[in-house]
Amino acid sequence: MKKVNKAAIASLVLTLTTGALLSGCGSSNNGNGNENSAASPAPQDNAAPKEKVVLDFWTFWGSETRRPLVEKIIDDFNKAHEGTIEVKHSYYPYGDIWTKSLAQTAAGNPPDVIVNSIEETGLRAAKKQNTNLAEFLAKDPTVKDRFREDLWNTVLYKNDPYALPFTTDTRMMFYNKTAFKEAGLDPNKFPDTWDELEEVAKKLDKKDANGKYARIGYAPQFAGFDAKSIAVNFDGGKGWLDENGQANISTPNKIEGFNYVQRYTDRLGQKNIDEYKAAFGSKEANPFIAGKVAIWPDAVTFQTQLRDFGKGMDVGIAPIPETKEGAGHWSTGGGFVVEIPAGAKHPAESWEFIKYLTDVQAQTYWAKMNYDNVANVQASNDPELTKDPIYKASVDNLANTRVYTRPAAAADLFKMLDPQVDAILTKKSTPKEGLDQAQKDVSDLIAQNGG
Amino acid sequence: MIDLSNTYRTGKRSRLSLERKEAVWGYAFVLPWIIGFLVFTFGPLLFSLYASFTNYDITSQMDWVGVRNYRNMFTHDTLFWKSLHNTLYYVVFNVPLTTFAALLLAVTMNQKIPGMRIFRTVFYLPSVLAGVAVFYLWMMLLNPSTGLVNMALGWVGIDGPAWMTDPSWTKPAVILMKLWGAGGGMLLYLAALQGVPDHLYEAAELDGASPIRRFWHVTVPMITPVIFFELVTNLIGAFQIFQEGYVMVQDQATPGSPMNSLLFYNLHMFLKAFQSFQMGYATAMAWFLFVVVIVLTLINMALSKLWVHYEGGDNR
Amino acid sequence: MSTTAASSSGSYFQSRRARKRIANIVIAIIMIALGIVCLAPFWWMLSTSLKSMKEIMSFPPTKYPHALHWENYKHAWVSGHFSRYALNTLFLSCVGVVAHILSNTFIAYGFAKIKFPGKNFLFSLMLATMMIPGFCTLIPQYILFSKLHWVGTYLPLTIPGFFGSAFQIFMLRQFYLGIPNDLIEAAKIDGANHFYIWSRIMVPLAKPAVIVIAITTFQGAWNDFLGPLLYVNKESMFNIQIGLTAFRSAELTQWNYLMAASLISLAPVILLFFFFQRYFIEGMNIASGTKG
Repeated sequence: MKKVNKAAIASLVLTLTTGALLSGCGSSNNGNGNENSAASPAPQDNAAPKEKVVLDFWTFWGSETRRPLVEKIIDDFNKAHEGTIEVKHSYYPYGDIWTKSLAQTAAGNPPDVIVNSIEETGLRAAKKQNTNLAEFLAKDPTVKDRFREDLWNTVLYKNDPYALPFTTDTRMMFYNKTAFKEAGLDPNKFPDTWDELEEVAKKLDKKDANGKYARIGYAPQFAGFDAKSIAVNFDGGKGWLDENGQANISTPNKIEGFNYVQRYTDRLGQKNIDEYKAAFGSKEANPFIAGKVAIWPDAVTFQTQLRDFGKGMDVGIAPIPETKEGAGHWSTGGGFVVEIPAGAKHPAESWEFIKYLTDVQAQTYWAKMNYDNVANVQASNDPELTKDPIYKASVDNLANTRVYTRPAAAADLFKMLDPQVDAILTKKSTPKEGLDQAQKDVSDLIAQNGG
Repeated sequence: MIDLSNTYRTGKRSRLSLERKEAVWGYAFVLPWIIGFLVFTFGPLLFSLYASFTNYDITSQMDWVGVRNYRNMFTHDTLFWKSLHNTLYYVVFNVPLTTFAALLLAVTMNQKIPGMRIFRTVFYLPSVLAGVAVFYLWMMLLNPSTGLVNMALGWVGIDGPAWMTDPSWTKPAVILMKLWGAGGGMLLYLAALQGVPDHLYEAAELDGASPIRRFWHVTVPMITPVIFFELVTNLIGAFQIFQEGYVMVQDQATPGSPMNSLLFYNLHMFLKAFQSFQMGYATAMAWFLFVVVIVLTLINMALSKLWVHYEGGDNR
Repeated sequence: MSTTAASSSGSYFQSRRARKRIANIVIAIIMIALGIVCLAPFWWMLSTSLKSMKEIMSFPPTKYPHALHWENYKHAWVSGHFSRYALNTLFLSCVGVVAHILSNTFIAYGFAKIKFPGKNFLFSLMLATMMIPGFCTLIPQYILFSKLHWVGTYLPLTIPGFFGSAFQIFMLRQFYLGIPNDLIEAAKIDGANHFYIWSRIMVPLAKPAVIVIAITTFQGAWNDFLGPLLYVNKESMFNIQIGLTAFRSAELTQWNYLMAASLISLAPVILLFFFFQRYFIEGMNIASGTKG
């Protein structure tokens, strides 16, 4: 950090001297304008009484549904810390929020707490973008026990935590029970293995008079559990990198996973799949709700859309299939963490706040209102919540869910992998060729980055 | 700056002092830009040039690495060439097409027909719409089975492609979308066309020149400065294409997909900077592009002497 | 326009009028067809903005809304705090227009009509700045504004406008170059200095270009997203483009509200353009009086 500031200042000297003159004219009140330690918070913060700390908390939850919930949680915290800590909520758009926070972190004026993606927590730690929480954890060691172990592991970098997990998610198979009945299938039994699923899918396909698909039973090319996730499931839940951070891409099982996906392409036809995919690509209409697809893998939060827009649908939910009995119903997940950006001014108070955000009360409330899988295990297993069979199913599914991180040495992993996956799916290369190429590209990448 | 009053003596000296006086006026007029440049642009520019020779990652390091970024760019990064290719493809089709379409629109809009105000507004409308709404709108329009574009193609018996999912059609789709917004450039031409004196047309018409001849021999020469301006700025603008590849993808997690067919140069650069945090590398890419575009623009300017016609003279 | 032709023979006059009329009809038909093509996407926006979310989620997409949900407009406006954002955006746009017209007409005059050493170098340098991709200077620029203590204010979004923009200087220079130097020489003989020539002769003559600048600046500021996002730290200072993003979330996009709000946000720019067109015509009269 220091090194950067020096270099930045060195090359900005010319402009700064001119700039200082200008700003000196405009606002004559700051005599110490050149002192870089200033990088002060907004002036109104200084006006507050000394002992009260105001925290700036950034989220991307600006929608009508989410905003009131996060603000209620903040309100509760503020009431409990009357006169000592006050949290202020700031909304910034999803995605852009991180560009902004990065710019502010670089300028030495970051927000106090920010919601960020779970997969890249370690990458950000390696780049010194967030605050090491080890010293705070040492004082509150039990905080660690709130989370499932693998979720906790995602926030570690060199064995130190750099964030607290806030939410996670898991992917499951939603299926249309009415369509199952119509096809003469048992609506209460979802296929266990991928091969069984294929048989069921065939029965669920429906063509119209012109030979066009009026309904596709299931196609792995759609929705929230893509070909890459299937390959990982086929490989016993092993991700694209092994435990040592080396490329683990071109494995026989992953190739098999892609072969499985290819079978659907062959049967359904590339054009039909493209048409379906493009039809729902803008995420406007949903083919499952529209009855155009009978089996739809998605994150469990999809349930909220079913609740709001799928009135009258009879929907079942089941784990992702496995390759064979006992191989494991591996699913993938993601999620968000709350973290303190590097250089934030009030880490101790911020720690209080993120501790509160991941504690039972706030997490239970969040789970109840959003259908999100929260990171806190106790909140996640709240008896009232788990009365809902779908929510219960999702909590159970977490045991088979893995969150795959993107470490610094392989930061460009998906940039190398995705084009090969596209090539495989469009039959421009075979699964073996594509994955071999990706294996080579990613290995080179990691070697180049010294990983 | 210098007291000029006592230098008025001999004719030679007075010409010199006049020139000097002119120069002072000249500097006075461009001074705001010089100040703005020094304060807001030069420092950041210098910084990014320096950064391109470092492993700068915005937050943790900035160590000198020599030309490593530039070397990696040309020798290691296959996506660099891919993204350069994508951008050049876009530039080659987009610049002439939009320039020509805007000119054509402007010529058509420069008639005295009732209701022209409404028409001009209609054609200008698409260029006003901004933000992601446009991209999503076009993703709906380009939907292979239900979208308006393929529906229209269907009326004339063409089976439209799967625009945004077929890697060989994604760039044409984006070019098509951009053509829709060509009305923005129309504005400048329109302003210029209206500056062409009527008597020139009348003279040509009395000489029996056909409308097409009138266009080529009266209109075009009169508005060459604007055409030139549009070409230069469109070229620069087209090289900056970025957001389309970021937003108009089936899966938001894979910008530039399918098969990196929409991975434009600036998108690759952006992802390097803000997703992989290789800002040093990204600035190296920026400077390479910078040099490429400068060379192209200089060529453009050199060629312009052959065909751009300035009424007021002094086109240096 | 056709007064000179009146002296020609009657048959020539008649056939010419007939040809003109046919040409006009053909042009009108072409324009109507093109206009429909141009407007079709807006039809889609309008229709989406009037649907319920439930209908939007259905497939295949309906071509017309089953029921017209005009309340979407009100809802989008109120729930998105758009009154506030619209005022902010209007303020930024107006300041931008004034700043850009003042600075760019001024600077461009220096580049177009005054001889001074180093002019070509400075001009090339200016053109070169147009080619710098924004985000490679984003971070250092941000650090600069942060050191100036401008972050959290509108200063980074307004002040740079007073120092000219390369694109518009280039454009105005092109226009100025088309204005004969004789005019300037004549004014000089009358004792006018450059400041006077700029303010009283060049700016009025460049009126069409100035209006183009006004419209494009207004539009650019109106649609700006990244600038306000980076430099504004309070929601009460957001602009419309940031406000629009609240309808999109990771899980679900409220298309009806997004499209409704987008359409409302288009209105000022469209109205501005519609009503300012007359000044093009005026601008034409002045320009054609001096040209040729």
